[in-house]
Order: sequence, then C-alpha cells, then structure tokens
Amino acid sequence: MTQYPTLGRRSAIGLGLAGGAALAAPRRARAQAPKEVKIGMLMPLSGPWARQGILEQMGARMAIDDVNNAGGIKSMGGAKLKLVEYDTQDSAEKAKDGAQRMLAQEPDLVGGFGCWLSTFTLAATEVTERAELPWLTLSYSDLITGRGFKYVFQSSPTADRQAEEELPMVVELAQKATGKKPTKVAIVGDNTASSVSFLKPIREHVLKNLGMTAVADEIYTPPLADATTIVQRVRSARPDFVLFQSTNVPDDKLLVDKFAEMNLKSDRLPKVGGGGHWAVPELLNVAGAENLEGVMVGLANWPGKNLADLEKRFMARTKEPWFGHDSIFAYVHVLILKEALERCGVADRRKVNEAIHTMDLTDGPAQFFPDGRIKYDEKGRRIGAKLCVVQWRNGKPVPVYPANIATADVVWPKA
Amino acid sequence: MRQGAAPRLRRDLIVLAVLSVAYLAVTAFVTNSYYQLILTLVPIWAVFGVGWNILSGYGGQLSFGHASFFGIGAYVTTLALVYWDLTPWLGIPLGMIVGGVAAILIGMPTFRLRGHYFALSMLAYPLAILYFLQYLGFQEVSLPMHRENPAAYLEFTDPRLYTVVAVGLLIAGIIACLMVENSRFGLALLAIRQNELAAEAAGLNSWLWKMRAITASGVIAAAAGGLYACVLLVVTPDSVFGMLVSAQAVVVTLFGGVAAVWGPVIGAAVLVPLASTLNAELGNILPGIQGVVYGAAMIGIMLASPEGLFWTVRDKLRHRRGSSTARQPQRPSAAPIRPAAAPPAVPRRSTPVAGGRALLEVENLSRAFGGLRAVSQVSFTVQAGEILGIIGPNGAGKTTLFNLLNGVLAADEGRATLDGVSLRGRKVHQVARLGVGRTFQVVRAFPRLPLRDNVIVAAYGAGLSDAAAIAASEDALAKVGLSAQADLPASQLTNKQLRLMELARALAGQPRLLLLDETLAGLGRDECDDVLDVLARLRDEGMTIVIIEHTMHAMMRIADRFVVLDHGRVLAAGLPRQVVEDRSVIEAYLGKKWLAKQEA
Repeated sequence: MTQYPTLGRRSAIGLGLAGGAALAAPRRARAQAPKEVKIGMLMPLSGPWARQGILEQMGARMAIDDVNNAGGIKSMGGAKLKLVEYDTQDSAEKAKDGAQRMLAQEPDLVGGFGCWLSTFTLAATEVTERAELPWLTLSYSDLITGRGFKYVFQSSPTADRQAEEELPMVVELAQKATGKKPTKVAIVGDNTASSVSFLKPIREHVLKNLGMTAVADEIYTPPLADATTIVQRVRSARPDFVLFQSTNVPDDKLLVDKFAEMNLKSDRLPKVGGGGHWAVPELLNVAGAENLEGVMVGLANWPGKNLADLEKRFMARTKEPWFGHDSIFAYVHVLILKEALERCGVADRRKVNEAIHTMDLTDGPAQFFPDGRIKYDEKGRRIGAKLCVVQWRNGKPVPVYPANIATADVVWPKA
Repeated sequence: MRQGAAPRLRRDLIVLAVLSVAYLAVTAFVTNSYYQLILTLVPIWAVFGVGWNILSGYGGQLSFGHASFFGIGAYVTTLALVYWDLTPWLGIPLGMIVGGVAAILIGMPTFRLRGHYFALSMLAYPLAILYFLQYLGFQEVSLPMHRENPAAYLEFTDPRLYTVVAVGLLIAGIIACLMVENSRFGLALLAIRQNELAAEAAGLNSWLWKMRAITASGVIAAAAGGLYACVLLVVTPDSVFGMLVSAQAVVVTLFGGVAAVWGPVIGAAVLVPLASTLNAELGNILPGIQGVVYGAAMIGIMLASPEGLFWTVRDKLRHRRGSSTARQPQRPSAAPIRPAAAPPAVPRRSTPVAGGRALLEVENLSRAFGGLRAVSQVSFTVQAGEILGIIGPNGAGKTTLFNLLNGVLAADEGRATLDGVSLRGRKVHQVARLGVGRTFQVVRAFPRLPLRDNVIVAAYGAGLSDAAAIAASEDALAKVGLSAQADLPASQLTNKQLRLMELARALAGQPRLLLLDETLAGLGRDECDDVLDVLARLRDEGMTIVIIEHTMHAMMRIADRFVVLDHGRVLAAGLPRQVVEDRSVIEAYLGKKWLAKQEA
C-alpha cells in the first residue's frame, strides 16, 4: 500500500477557510470600490439600421471617454465606466434576443440605452424591465412608455406629442421670420404606420386649432418611384409651405429633387421634413446641398450653440461632417447614467433606477437637450421634452429653433 | 395502426421519454438566462418543424408559407391576451383552432395546384396576412406584463419553466406525429408524396388526405407560434409571418431529416444553438458576420447530407451493421414464385365464358385531344371471369381508353358501366373504390416504402379496417408470390417484381375488375411466363381482367378474347384466332405492303 501524505483535520479546516477567504475577498473588495462600472448599449450595428446605431455608438464612446478622462465616478472612488455593446441586428426578435444575451453575459450591468428603432426598443425593454435594468431611449413610439414599466426612460417627445407640436412650432417660426401667419399647408406623406398615426391628429384637429387648411394632401406608398404628379398637384394648390412625412432617404431625395426641378426650391416654397433621416450626411450625398438648401427638419434633439466645442471634438474623432440627433442622444444618455451613479454611489441597478426617477436637473447633462431639463415623469417620459428645428444651410443642418440652441435665424421667404 | 408499427412506435416512445428527461435535467442546471432562452427555443422551432413535416415531409406538399399558421397562432394568443385578458394557457389552444380553420381555408383553393405552383402559392399567404396586420395597426403588439399571479398568464420569473412548457408541447407534437406516421394517415401521405396518381388509383382520396394533413400541420404550427409569442413578449408581423419564419420550418426539417419524426428535432437542436452561439460569439466581434457563417455551414451540411442528417446517419449505421443481414431478404432463392413442377404452359380455356354475366359494358366511349380523336366510339363488353386482351399498334388509344375507364381522363361522350353502375364522371379513387384495380404502363411504385406498404395502401384505399387490410395485402402478396420480399423497399425490386407488386397492389384493393396496362413490358420470356401464370391463376379464381399488351405470343396464350384498337376505333373483336387472321388487323399492324406481299 502506498503511503499518501495525510492532511490533519485542523490544517484542512484552515486550508478551507483560507480558500474561502481568498475567493470571497476580491469580490467584497470590488463591491466596495469597483474598478469599473458596466453600462450596456444595444443598437442596430448590422442590418438596414446599422448606420443609425453606429452614429449612436460614436456618441456613446465619446461620452465614456469624456467621463473616464475626467476622473470617472467620483462618488465611487473614481470608478471607470465601461461600455458593453450588443447588436440588435435587423428584427424585433433578434433585438429581444440581443437583450437577453446582454443580460445573461453581463450580470453586473447597472443600466443601458438603445435601440434607436421603436420596434427594437419595445422588444428589448420587455426583457430589461423584467431584469429591472434602467433603460434610456430616444425612440419615439408612445407604446414604449405606455405599458406601465418602471425601468424605461424616454428622452424624446413621444410620437403623439410630436404630431401635436410640430405644426405650431413651424407656424411660430414663420411668424417670427415674416410677421405673417401661414394658413395653407400641403401635406405629402407615405402610408407607413408611423406616418399614418403621425398625420391623423394633424388632419383631425391640429390644423383646425391653428386656423389652417390643407390645400393638398398627397399620400404615396414607399418606395416612391416618381414624384412628378405629387409635386404638380402641390404646385397648383399654391400652399404657404409643405409638410413632409416621408420615412426614408431615397424618398426624401426624390421629393426635393422634383420640387427643385419644378422651380420650387425652398426660397420660393418653404419645406418642413420630420425625423432624423432628413438630417443625415447620406441625404446630402444623394440630394446635394443646392436642392436641400433651406429645408427645415423637426427633430427631437440637436447640439446647440453652447456645444460648439463638443461638436468640434466629435468631428475630429469620428470624421463625421457634423454632430447630430443620434450621436447626441447616446452622449447624453451615458451622462445621465453617470449622474445617477454619482448620486447613489453604488453599482446597483435598482438604486440607479431610483436615482434617475428622482433626478431633476437643469444644468450638467441637461444642457444637451434643447429645453434644458432632465426630469422624467412616473411613466418615464421626459417632462417638457420639445422638438427643435434645424435648417439646411450650405450643405449642413444648422439649429434654428428653439432660441437657446439656435446658431442662426430661420430663413423663411417673404411671400 | 400500420403493420409492423408497434415495435417501432415502442422504440420511438422510449427514445422520446429518455430524451425529454435528459433535456429537462440539463435545463435544471442552466442558470444563464440566455442559454436558457436557447433551450426554450429549440423545442419551439422543433414543434414548428414537426408541423411542417406532416404536410411537406410525409405528404410531399412543399410549403414555403408555414409562417401563416405560426403567425396566426402567435397573433391570436397575443391579441386574446391584450383585448380579452385571455390567458395564453387558453389562448394557445384558441390559436390552434384558428390555425386549423385557416389551414382549411388555405388548403381548399391551393390544393388545386401541384408541385412548384403549390409551393409558390403558399408563399403568398403569410405575406398577404403580414400586410393586412400592418394595415390594421398591429405592427408591434406587446404582451402585457402581469405582476400579480404571472404563472396563470404563462409568465415565469424562472426561465427554466418556459423550457418545461416548450418541452411539453414538443412531446405532444411528437406523439401526434408518431400517430400520423404509424397509421394509414401517414402511409396515405407517403404514398401521395411518392406517386399521387398511383395513390389515387389505389383508391386513396388524395385531396381529402392532403386537406387533413394541412389542417393537422396548421394546428401544430399555430401551437408553436402561440408559445413563441409568449417567449418573445413582443409580436411584430415580420417576426412571426416573415419569410425567415417560413424558412425556419423548412430549414430545421430539411437539415434534420424529411419525413422522419426526429428530423425537425435534430435540425432544431443543432441549428438554433448554432445560430445563437454565432450571434453571441462572432456577432460581438464583427456584427453581421454570424449570418455569413451560418449560411455557409448550412450549405456545407446540405451538400454533404441532402436528405437530412437523420437519414444519412441511419443509412450509415445500417450499412455498418453488416450488409449480410440487410440484404438477406433480397435473395431470390428464398421463395420461388410457384412450384417448379407446375405445368409450364398456361392452360387457356378452350371456350370463352359464353353466356357469362357482362361485368363491364363500354358504349360509344370517345375522347378527343383537340383535333386528335384518341378514342372514338369504342364499344365492347367484358364478361365476368374472362381475360380480355386489348391490342393495337402504338398510339391506337389503348392507354387513353384505360384512363377514361378509371377516371384519370374524362370522356367526351359515351358510357361505361361496371355491373350497371356508371363510371363516367367519377374520380380515380372513386372508380377504384367501385372495384376497378389498375396497373400502369410505367410502374408507379412508392420507392421509399417497403413492398408491404406499397401494397397495403390499396387495401386502405378500399376502406378496409386495419386487420382486414393487413390480411388483404398478405393475401395479395401471396397470390403474386412476393411474400418473401415483403420488407424490401420498392426501390430494390427487379422489374418483374415491380410488375407483380403493382398487380398485388391492385389485388389488395379487392377489385372486381383489373385493368392491366402492358404488365409484361420489358420482361424476358421466362419472366413473362411467370407473370402469365399468375394471371391465369387469378382468372381461375374468378377475377375479370382487361389487359393491354404488345407481345402477341403472350396475348395469344392468355387472352380469352381480343379487342383490336386502331386510330382510336375498334378494328375487330372476337376470339384470338379469328382476330389475328383478320385482314384489317394484319394491315393495321404490318401495313398494306406486307399484306399484298403475303397474298402474292
């Protein structure tokens, strides 16, 4: 029989205790002063919406660097922020799958943001809500914050509110520029679900309340093949301005091209588009600066005049022609999570959620919203969230409304 | 239950039980919620594949649009929960009912089409429903969260319970599929898939069986869709009616094994985790690359194993298990067709059955294809118990005549009655049910099925009970001398055996009249004699036979009377000797010149 070295009972217990302590120690140490705090980003990084996801990614990465370069989270001993990035791919079920994967692989997340497209956000938040992970989003759909969820924060004005506010805002701009109130509008929109629901309240009561009439109301099925008849009808109706409710860049291009061809550029007929796709570099590439000149775009956010330095840094690091709607949202969402972490001082997602709910800021990250306030109501909708307007000038979208972000006055032709 | 199904069924149920227990045991130890989700999705997609397999695998009716049923299940479950607060425990069964009704509504018009046209039309339904739902404003419907009493609404905080429910559904789906496979339902579908006309001629109402298949298939797919909605939490038209959803059913089944219970299970168990792992591992490094890798893996595996993993693996195992046992029944020495001592010549009746009862009466039967009068004013009668030979040169209209008699083609005019019952206007399977058995000029076998099943199809077609059908097919096989080959797949039979198999199939349908279309074609002289012996014995047992044949010497030996067709018309009729000496018959066969030379 072979003699094995035996271990006395006492030394065995000692070894066990030491081992246990060795295992437990770093965990406890990390809980006290975490080296890094993880926040999640779930975005379309592949598929048809990848471009928007990547624009958000650029803004988020810059925010993370800015926070960490400034010393991390001070209330947590200078803990660094770490961004973990997940891809929604191209469908709601894959977005939901991505959310599930993110939560399973990163159990120590304290919060996150995404997923740009409302459909994806809606699916992903079904998962994050159940995991009690605070989630910030720029998506517009009212459904997102209409489900009684407690861990979702919507920073944009919801789609319904945008529908109510866009026209009054345009009228206000026109009045300020020309001293005259426009009364005749031409509506050109596609028949996708979001467009139909956006235009419904406008047709039903918004126009009436403003004392306006729709002299033309043109509906098409995207993708638009030819805009000639639409533009001819709009021209013969002689509106004061055109309201576009298109949903993609190729249709936008066809429309502005055809108006320009019929000698109705924006210096003769003002035009207002809605949605982020009206202010992306791709549109500039296909439609050209000349035809876009003067087109106004209603958006949920845009970096204003106080953020010139930030914009310059962004352009330098990304080689993008400007700092826009998608990137600034991601930037500010990282800052909101950072602010919440500063307030609660622990990497605990429930406490972070609590901190965002109780937050009421008019400085710091609040300067990255046109209305300058961060306060979410009990549904998770940002109180006072307002639209802003940018106008294409010499091949660049320039903020013209509201006054606190505007870098230029709106150009509205005097009829 | 089908003959020989019991041991196979028992084995499959044991496998099912073992696999389910093992799967749930693994499930219990997985705490990572993402891997748990994968464990839930595997059985769901497997159920969907099982549903698809019934219609498209067993039945061979390729459907590219099974998302219709999946999506209907998902939307009914979701909308019932949103608008009526109906728990998915009841919503999923409701979805299954709606899915079944939808399957009937979709099947009725679409089964007018066959093959690729059917497959492509099926593609259109989910797309149409998709746009319809968008129009109705159901772009994104989320399943409301129930914080109180979630389990009553099929919501669990422990994700393992979803897997348990999904496995339960899969067990139910597999049992349903086993019941189909091991009954006449499954055999009818396999027969229809392999040769629809032969199945019809064997008395199967293929339209009805296909309708049953699409309904069962739709119900199962809807169940999978309903549970998928509960796991997905947000339902969009694209995620349940999209092209990729339809493709998922096709892909898991093709990959795992078509027309095999375990096919979709294998497919889902490999592909779903593979896709998810690729998403998780590669997708984080280079977004989008996972799709490329997945596609390439699919192509590779399909090239290596075109019928699906299940069949490839099974064939390999059988091969390895020793070729001796597998080939044994093929040895022809085991059972000679008849005792060698029997008299070699076929004893032909010296006198035709004069004064016998007329079984088949054909009067002025005609059919034209455009300007070509393929069958024109044909009249003859067949006496019960006789063998009537129909001869004539190629293109005389012989096979067309058979097709008119058994309903493959509709006659333009005339009348055909079997024992006073009109055959005109009846479908193929209805004629078969009246007692008309038919074989084909080119053998129409069900090549993947064993000989036994090839034959029993007709017994089912005749409406026999399971026991009676088994007895009838055993009897038919014995009559043609193929009892020893009963377990061989039809694809391994010789030409003669195939001819006899068709004869046995016709016999198993309990016919009163056999229509044999060139049963002797392609046989050597000895083989020919064997078949003729079988026919003679059948006549002696009282069977009435109409046979088309080119080989004059064989016909001279077997037929009691001849009817000669030429250019669609009856040229002559009567006793064989009279007919072959008839000038017009010789002229039709050999030409005027030959006749003139003979007479000179």
